[in-house]
Parts: sequence; structure tokens; C-alpha cells
Amino acid sequence: MHSAVEKAIQLILSADAELCDILSVTARMSLASSLIALLIGVPLGIWLGSCRFRGRGLLLVLNRTLMGLPPVVCGLLFYMLFSGVGPFRQYKLLFTVKIMVLAQVVLITPIVIGNMESYVSGLAPAVRETAKGLGLGHFRTLLLLTNECVYQIFSAYLLAFARSIAEVGAVSMVGGAIAWKTNVMTTAIMQYTNRGNFSLGIALGLILLAVSLLVNGVISLLQRRLSR
Amino acid sequence: MKIEAFTKTYGDRRVLDFPGMELERGKIYGIIGANGSGKSTFARVLAGVLPADRPGRKLEPGLTVGYMPQKNYAFRMRVRSNILLGGHDTARAEKLMETMQIAHLAGKRADRLSGGETARMALARLMMGRFDLVLLDEPTAAMDMETSALAEGLIMDYCRETGCALVLVTHSLQQARRVADEALFFHAGLLLEQGAKEKLLYVPERAETRRFLEFYT
Repeated sequence: MHSAVEKAIQLILSADAELCDILSVTARMSLASSLIALLIGVPLGIWLGSCRFRGRGLLLVLNRTLMGLPPVVCGLLFYMLFSGVGPFRQYKLLFTVKIMVLAQVVLITPIVIGNMESYVSGLAPAVRETAKGLGLGHFRTLLLLTNECVYQIFSAYLLAFARSIAEVGAVSMVGGAIAWKTNVMTTAIMQYTNRGNFSLGIALGLILLAVSLLVNGVISLLQRRLSR
Repeated sequence: MKIEAFTKTYGDRRVLDFPGMELERGKIYGIIGANGSGKSTFARVLAGVLPADRPGRKLEPGLTVGYMPQKNYAFRMRVRSNILLGGHDTARAEKLMETMQIAHLAGKRADRLSGGETARMALARLMMGRFDLVLLDEPTAAMDMETSALAEGLIMDYCRETGCALVLVTHSLQQARRVADEALFFHAGLLLEQGAKEKLLYVPERAETRRFLEFYT
């Protein structure tokens, strides 16, 4: 155990090529998926949180259900859609980083939506009432509301990124954990542990923990600022 | 300007049954009444932030309405930027901040102000605009006596300068006596009595109004 940890630290310090490739694929997938989720989730979350309309309750229930979607079910769905017998087989996306990003977007967008919706629904009545009292129009009110959510948007992004980087079920199914192509930190940890190569697994685990610590540290700082 | 009759019901509880009335420009209308009498509901429906039971126009078309809610919201930006949300005249913003004694807070984050400072900022912010009808829901509730007096002066000056009709919802009988031209007494969701302040706030006709005045004097 001790020597495995020592070797893991050596791998990190020597910038091992395979380790760097895994980190690069992980970063590309996590950054892309969390950014797309943010672009879709923030407007939808603000809309659901600030507007009252028929069917809103149903959309919220649907979103909460998707927030709990098991990653392997999501992976299975994408696998069936893009495999050789699936309706989208012509796109040839299976076992690529692109489909891993798509699967992650489906998994983390509901988290961004839910996070933004719950924050905005608490804030919107006061903002709307004040803006209306000042005679401000709908667009200006929306801009003000969005401005009030800036820290929450950062917080939602970091949550999405943390979920994306730590996910294993869906990415292993649709990405296939192919070395030098679609292997990300989580899938690589599983793979190398199964092969008995603990050093690389531990090295990746340490990095994953460090990233998680950093993200959670930033989230708590933001939450402290949000609570004024 | 005419306010149409309207009602407001929550579930099966009717909280306001307003018969409609005429407002005169340049006058301040003090609304008094106990908690739950329908004062704030009246202001919120007129401001358009709360729907009445029956949708439709409560005021003449084209009238502009300014409203300061009971709970003041400070946007997460500087005090000066908050005030400039009400209008673009920077000289007026500086003057209003001086009047309300918040000029020294101009560069401070508004969401970090105290309750009283926020109320002073919110009043200055609203007074940046020009409206036909202004509704103030207990604007001085969070202020101390000194700033409350400043606010009352500002409210009266604003009404005189802009020629708006101003509705002041207040818990303070003394404030209504100092500021209002006319008074309205709400009781259990009904507009029970209205008239010149000299009459309503000193020698009212209705027994309920007399009881209210006795209790608050």
C-alpha cells in the first residue's frame, strides 16, 4: 500500500504520459458537459423559478425525476440509440468523447435547473415587486434577477462540474474506457484496479479528491457570500 | 383619477372589498387600520403585484404607478446604482441621497445596509421616478424618528412638486395626521370611512374608527 502511494506520487510528479492523457480527456469531457448544462440549465431554471404557469408543477416533477436518473440507465439509453442497431447509428458517436459529453449533459442539466429554480423561486417575488414598483419593464426585471443570481450560477456550474468529473456509470457504457481515447479518471481507476495496477489508480484517486476538495471549497466560499 | 371597485379573496376568506373612489392629484391619502384590515392588499392590487379576484383594469389606462413595498429589496449592487434604477438623473440621485442622509453610503454594497438604511435608499430610489400615482406601504416602519421626519418631508415635497396622487399606508396615526390631506380607514377588509383628515383623524363618524383612534392615541 505504502509503495503504491509512493509510486502514485511519482507518477503525478513525473507527469506520466498516460496519466496526462486521462486527465486531458477528463477535463475536456467535464468542462464541455458542465458548460453546455449551464447554458441550457440556467435560463430554464430562472424561467421555472420566476414564472407561474399551467404545467409548471409537472415540469418540476419531471426535472426532479431526471435529477435522480441512474447514470447506468442514461448510459444504456445512449448506447441503444447510437449503437449499430440504434436510430442514430449513422452519427458514429459511440465510444467517442462527444457521446460521453452528451450523456453527461443529460445527467447534470437537471441538477443545474433544480439548483437555479429553487434559488430563483425564493428571490423572484421580491425582485419582481420592487422592479414593478419602480416601473421597470419585463426585460430589465429579468436582467436584474439574473444579476442577483451571479454567485448561484457559479455555484451551480461547480456542482455540475463536480458531478461530471466524478461520474462513472454512463461514461464507461458509452465511452468504453478506451485507453488514449475515452478513458477518464473514474473509468481508469476501475480499470487499473481490476488489473492490479494500484499506483495509477491511487494517483488518479488523489487528483480526483484534490479537484473535489477545490470545487467544494469554492462552493462553500460562494455560499458564504450568498448568505450575506 | 378613478379607482374601480374590486375584491380580493384568499381561499374562501375575503380580505378586501373595495368600493372604488376618486383620487385627486397633488393630494396625499393616508390609509390607516389595524393589522389584516386590507391596507397592504389595497396597495398591492393597485400596484399590479397582486391580482384582484376579477382581472381587469383598476385604474385609468396610461397612468403610471410607483410603489414601495413593505419589505424593501436592495439589489446586489452599490447604493448609487440602486437609486439610479429609479431614474437616470444623477444630480437628482445625489440630492435625494443627501436628503435621506445616505450620501456617505453611495459607494457601499446596498445588500449590506441595515434595515433603516435600506428603507431610506428604497424611498430615494422610488422618488427618482415620476408617476401619476404613488403607493407607499409603511415606508418609515424601519426608520428612526429623525429619518422618519426626513422621509415625511421628502414625501410631501415629492407630491407637491410632481403633482401625483400619493397613497400612504401607515400604522402611525401621528404620521397620517402630519402628512395626509385625506384619510381612509380600513376595517376587516372594508373601506369603512373616508374624508378630510381634520374630520376622520379627530372626530370620525363611525364607532369602529373612534375605537381605533382611542387605542392608537
